[in-house]
Amino acid sequence: MAKPASATAGAPAGVGSTAESAERSDAARGGLEAAAGQAVALEGVDVAFDGFKALNDLSLEVGRGERVAIIGASGAGKSTLFNVLTRALPVAAGRVLVEGADLMAAAPEQLRAMRRRIGVIYQSYGLVPQLSAGMNVALGELTGLSNRAALRALVRGPGAETSARVVAALEQVGLAERLGDRVTELSGGQQQRVAVARLLVQQPALVLADEPVAAVDPVTGKRVLHALLELADERTTLLVSLHDVALARRFPRVVALRDGSVVFDGPPEGIDDAMLEAVYDEAGSAPFEPDLEPGAQPAATSRCDPLGIALNPPRHQHGLRPR
Amino acid sequence: MAYAPAEPPRVPAALPRPRTPVASLLVLVVIAATGVSFYGTEFDLIELFAGAGPIERFASGMFPPDLSAATLRSTGRGIFETFQMSLLGAVLGIVAAFPLALIATGEAATTRAALRTRVLQAIPYHAARLGLNVFRSVPEILWALVFVVALGLGPFPGTVALAIHSTGVFGKLFSEQLESVPARPVEALRAIGATRTQRLLFGRLPQAGGGFVSLGMYQWECNIRAATILGFVGAGGIGQQILISMQLFDYQKVATLALATIITVLAVDRVSAAARRRLSY
Repeated sequence: MAKPASATAGAPAGVGSTAESAERSDAARGGLEAAAGQAVALEGVDVAFDGFKALNDLSLEVGRGERVAIIGASGAGKSTLFNVLTRALPVAAGRVLVEGADLMAAAPEQLRAMRRRIGVIYQSYGLVPQLSAGMNVALGELTGLSNRAALRALVRGPGAETSARVVAALEQVGLAERLGDRVTELSGGQQQRVAVARLLVQQPALVLADEPVAAVDPVTGKRVLHALLELADERTTLLVSLHDVALARRFPRVVALRDGSVVFDGPPEGIDDAMLEAVYDEAGSAPFEPDLEPGAQPAATSRCDPLGIALNPPRHQHGLRPR
Repeated sequence: MAYAPAEPPRVPAALPRPRTPVASLLVLVVIAATGVSFYGTEFDLIELFAGAGPIERFASGMFPPDLSAATLRSTGRGIFETFQMSLLGAVLGIVAAFPLALIATGEAATTRAALRTRVLQAIPYHAARLGLNVFRSVPEILWALVFVVALGLGPFPGTVALAIHSTGVFGKLFSEQLESVPARPVEALRAIGATRTQRLLFGRLPQAGGGFVSLGMYQWECNIRAATILGFVGAGGIGQQILISMQLFDYQKVATLALATIITVLAVDRVSAAARRRLSY
């Protein structure tokens, strides 16, 4: 099994005082010092539901700025992994470090600070259907406010600065004219782009995209992934779970899960039929791998492009920059 | 050696049936309790039909209804007062229930908080739930009896009784509505660091809002019906006029008042149903 050294780019991003102190205390304890420079580090993580191990002694390190595709059959543990990375699920054993801080040991306030640095995007969008597209996008920033300020935003709407960022983010995903429309009035693809716009406003350091293109048509899916890639830069880590192996092949690093464990971790060149068989066959579901165009080759650069579009698309003024 | 042909698998019926011995036992218990209740309440169909004569005399005494100007005027006043009591009772109930419902809304925790934090969170939650249960479990007419003694006769004690009972009903329904909204948007907010209050404000409240209005309309309907009864204990509304007319054996006026009540309840029911249909999405 190939296991490349995780890419680390640049100095640690400012996590905020709480997370920074957590990082320092973690280093002082002497545990997983090497992982402190990683965006994500899981060590021997177990998650069990009624005796069934959804994650089984899973260890994984992802460097800052890496773009990683997670593949695996249904039930392999992809969504569980993402839920663990937001502490939506507790772990039975092991440690989970996000930007060097122990996620499972974080106190409530520190946990919220860590979660604000994590952006999520789901197959089912995770938007509030009764709110406008603009307000859904603004939620990416409003969660950082005090409860009183949030209440004010609920009644009066977000402030001028937030509104400007919301409009810019919606412009970036091509939905500026739908600012005031309820998300239920948007198509599935448009809703997914609203979810991406929320990430643009939130400016997270780690983006977890759980099957972001599974519920949309292939063209819209490409557009959504395009937008996701556009918001990621060298300081933003992107973890995307995909059923589409052809898309996953275009990421610089692919992690394959089976039965809650990593069975492949390496560059896409290492994905062959035997590996795919090992990942999918016994699980009873064949991977979705449409024929690549004749002559198409998986990209091998560190900033490859899953969609065959520009590798480094022009940055927009309101592109993602971790705070 | 001959083999019996295997029974082909069959699709189970759509009507749910007890699947476990415990479920079957529960069904038997309900049937037995129903039988015991017939006995305990001295339920007798023969006696019911034997009483048809007095009922018929009472009903025939109601016709023709009294449609004199004076009766119609007093009926209109009674209906208007009942309407005001029911509306104000519902609005006051909503205002009082809303903050209590927010406190009484539980959310499954994904993280195990410290014992002190859990206790501090549990006290207001359970206190709010207990208060709402007390308000709701005491019927309006009992609250009305209490407030008629305290405040005297008239629509005011009736309105207070309706408001208190409505607070209990709204509080429970609102909190359940808030708890039962689709979880994914709320989880998405939690995942990006929203506080409990923020999840409530932006995740649960917008999703439950349409249901709140619908529940408000329904409880207003219930209040209209309840307000007609409250008059029987002197708490205002058209019920008070019905009681007085009954005591004076003026059954024709009773017929007019009862018809007006039925028409009002049906009208409110229609308006409420139409409004709730428009709100459902």
